[in-house]
Amino acid sequence: MDTVSIEVKNSTITKRNKIKVSIGERTFDLANVLLILLLCAITLYPFWYVLVLSLNEGKDAARGPIWFWPREFTLQNYEYVIRNPYIVHAFLITVTRAVIGSLVSIGVMFLAAYSLSKRNLAGRKTYLYFLMIPLFIGGNVVTNYVVMAKLGMLNNFLVYILPGAFSFFFMIIIRTFIEQLPESLEESAMLDGAGHYEILKSIIAPLSKPIIAAMLFFSVVSHWLDLSTNLLYVTDRSLYVVQYVLYMVVLSSSPGDLSDITNVAMRLQSQSSGSLPTPEVLKMATLIAVTLPLLFIYPFFQKYFVKGMLVGAIKA
Amino acid sequence: MKSSKLSSQFILHVFLLPAVVLTLLFNYLPMFSNVIAFMEYDIFAGWMGLGSKWVGFDNFAFLQEDWFYELAMRTLFYSASMLLFSFPASLILALLLNELRNQTFKKFAQTISYVPHFVSWVTVASLIYIFLSVDISGLVNNLKVALFGGERILYMQQSEYFLPVMIISQVWKEIGWGSILYLAAISTIDPQLYEAATVDGAGRWRQLLHITLPGLVPTTIVLMIFSLGGLFSGNFDQIFNLQNQVIQEKTNIISTYTYYRGVKGAEYSIATAVGLFSGVISFILLKIANFTGKKIGDTSII
Repeated sequence: MDTVSIEVKNSTITKRNKIKVSIGERTFDLANVLLILLLCAITLYPFWYVLVLSLNEGKDAARGPIWFWPREFTLQNYEYVIRNPYIVHAFLITVTRAVIGSLVSIGVMFLAAYSLSKRNLAGRKTYLYFLMIPLFIGGNVVTNYVVMAKLGMLNNFLVYILPGAFSFFFMIIIRTFIEQLPESLEESAMLDGAGHYEILKSIIAPLSKPIIAAMLFFSVVSHWLDLSTNLLYVTDRSLYVVQYVLYMVVLSSSPGDLSDITNVAMRLQSQSSGSLPTPEVLKMATLIAVTLPLLFIYPFFQKYFVKGMLVGAIKA
Repeated sequence: MKSSKLSSQFILHVFLLPAVVLTLLFNYLPMFSNVIAFMEYDIFAGWMGLGSKWVGFDNFAFLQEDWFYELAMRTLFYSASMLLFSFPASLILALLLNELRNQTFKKFAQTISYVPHFVSWVTVASLIYIFLSVDISGLVNNLKVALFGGERILYMQQSEYFLPVMIISQVWKEIGWGSILYLAAISTIDPQLYEAATVDGAGRWRQLLHITLPGLVPTTIVLMIFSLGGLFSGNFDQIFNLQNQVIQEKTNIISTYTYYRGVKGAEYSIATAVGLFSGVISFILLKIANFTGKKIGDTSII
C-alpha cells in the first residue's frame, strides 16, 4: 500500500516537473541547435571563403570585398597551380611518401605488436621498456638534426619514411586489438603445426582489418600534414612536399623562396595570353589544392578512427 | 620440445627487430647526442663529432641570463593560456552535443567539427594571414572598416595580437577533436543514474551538474596529465607557422628558439643545452602530473 502511494506521488512530481520546465527546455534545445549550427558555420566558412576567392578572377577580387560567392568566376587560378611544376612534383612526392611510409609503418608496428602480444615471449618486459622510454626522454630538434646528418638522412627520401615509422602509442593500440582476438583460433592452428608466421599471415592479419584501416588512415594523415621533416632535413627542391610548398607560397618571409614558386606564374604568363592571376588568388588556389584532398577521404574513414581513438583511450 | 619452443620464439624476435632498430637509430641516438650540450661541438671532430672538446656546464650559462627566463616564462604562459581555453571549450562542446535530441544532426555536427583537425598548421596559419591581411581579401579588416571605420591594421606585425590569434586558432582547430573523448566518457555513464535522477525530479540542468560532470572527472584528469608534459615544450608547428620575421623575437618559445639558434644558426651546443634543460623540466612536470593524477583520480599514464 505504502509503496504504491509513493510511486503515484513520484510520477505526479515528474509530470509536474516536465510541464513546468518544458518551455525552458524547448528554448534551450532551440538555442543549442542554433549555437551548434553557428559553430559549424565558423568551422567551414574560412575554407569556403578561400575557395570562393580562389575561383574568382584575381584583379576583380582586388577591386572589392567578396563574401559568399565568386563575382567573376574562373578556373584560371587552378590552371596555374596545375601547370606549376614545383607543386605537381610536390604532390607526387607527398603521395609516394604517404603510401610507402604508411605501409612500412604499419608493417613495422604490426609485427612488433604481434610479438609483444605473446605473454610468454622471452624478454617481453625489456622490449616494452626499451620501446617506451623515448616517450619520456629523448633528443630535441638539434640533436635530431645532428643524428640525421650523420646517418646520411639529409636530402634523402628515406627521411620521410623511416624516422616516423614506429610509434609506440599506435603499436600498443594494435597490440590491444590483437589481444582481444579469440585465442582458440591460434591454438588450434598451432596444434595443426602452423608457426607464428603462418598464424600472423592467415589468421591475425585478416581479423585485424578494422584496426589496420584506422592506422592506415592516421598514418596517411600524418604524412600528408607533415611540414617539419621537410623543413628540417630537406633543402633539395626535387624532394619538397606539398605542405612545404604551401608554406613557401603563403607564409615564408624569405623572398627567395616565395619568388621561386610564384615566379613560375609569371613565366607561364608570358607563354599564354589573357590576364595574370594575382599572387593573392594564387595563394588561395594553392591552399585549397593542398588542403582539400585529405578532407575528401576523411568522412569515409570516420567510423574507423573514432573506434581506434577509443581503443587507445581505454588503454590510456 | 624446448628447442621447438625456442625456434618458434626466434621468429618473434625477428618481428621485433625493425621496431628496435628504428627506435635505436631515431630515438636513442638523438637522446645520447644530448652530450653535445657539454661540449664545444664540432660536427667534424671524430665519429659523430664525439671528438669535440668537453666544456662541462659552460653552455648552460644561459641559466643566469635574462633572455632565457623571458623565453621560459613566455613558453609556459602561452601553453597555459591555450590549455585554459581549449579544455573548457571542448568540454562545453561535448556537453552541448550530448544534449542534442536529433541523433542525425548530432552526427553531422560532429563530422563537421572534426574537419579542422585534418588540416595542417600551415593551412591554418595561411588562413589566418589571409583573413588578417590588409589587402582587400583581408576579411577581418574589411569587417572592421565597415563596422567601425578607421585604418586597416597589420595584425600579424604586432606581437600583442599574437596570443589571441594563437588561442583562437587552437580552439578553432581542435575543439571538435578534443570533444571526442569527453563524448565517449559521457556514453559510458550508467543510464540508470539518469533514470533515477528523473524519478527524483531532477531536471536536465541538475542531471548535468550532478551526474554528467562528475562522470567526466577521470577523463579530464588523464587529458590534463597528457598536456602538462607538453607545457614546457609548446607546439612547434603552430608557433613556427604563425610567426613572421617582424614578431619572431617577441613570440619565440623554447622549441622555435632552439630551431632558429641550433639548426638555422648552427650553434649546436648552446641550443642543445637549452633543449636538454627544457626536456628535463618537461619530464619533471610529467612525473608530478602523473603522481597527482594517481592521488586524485586513480588514473595514470605510466
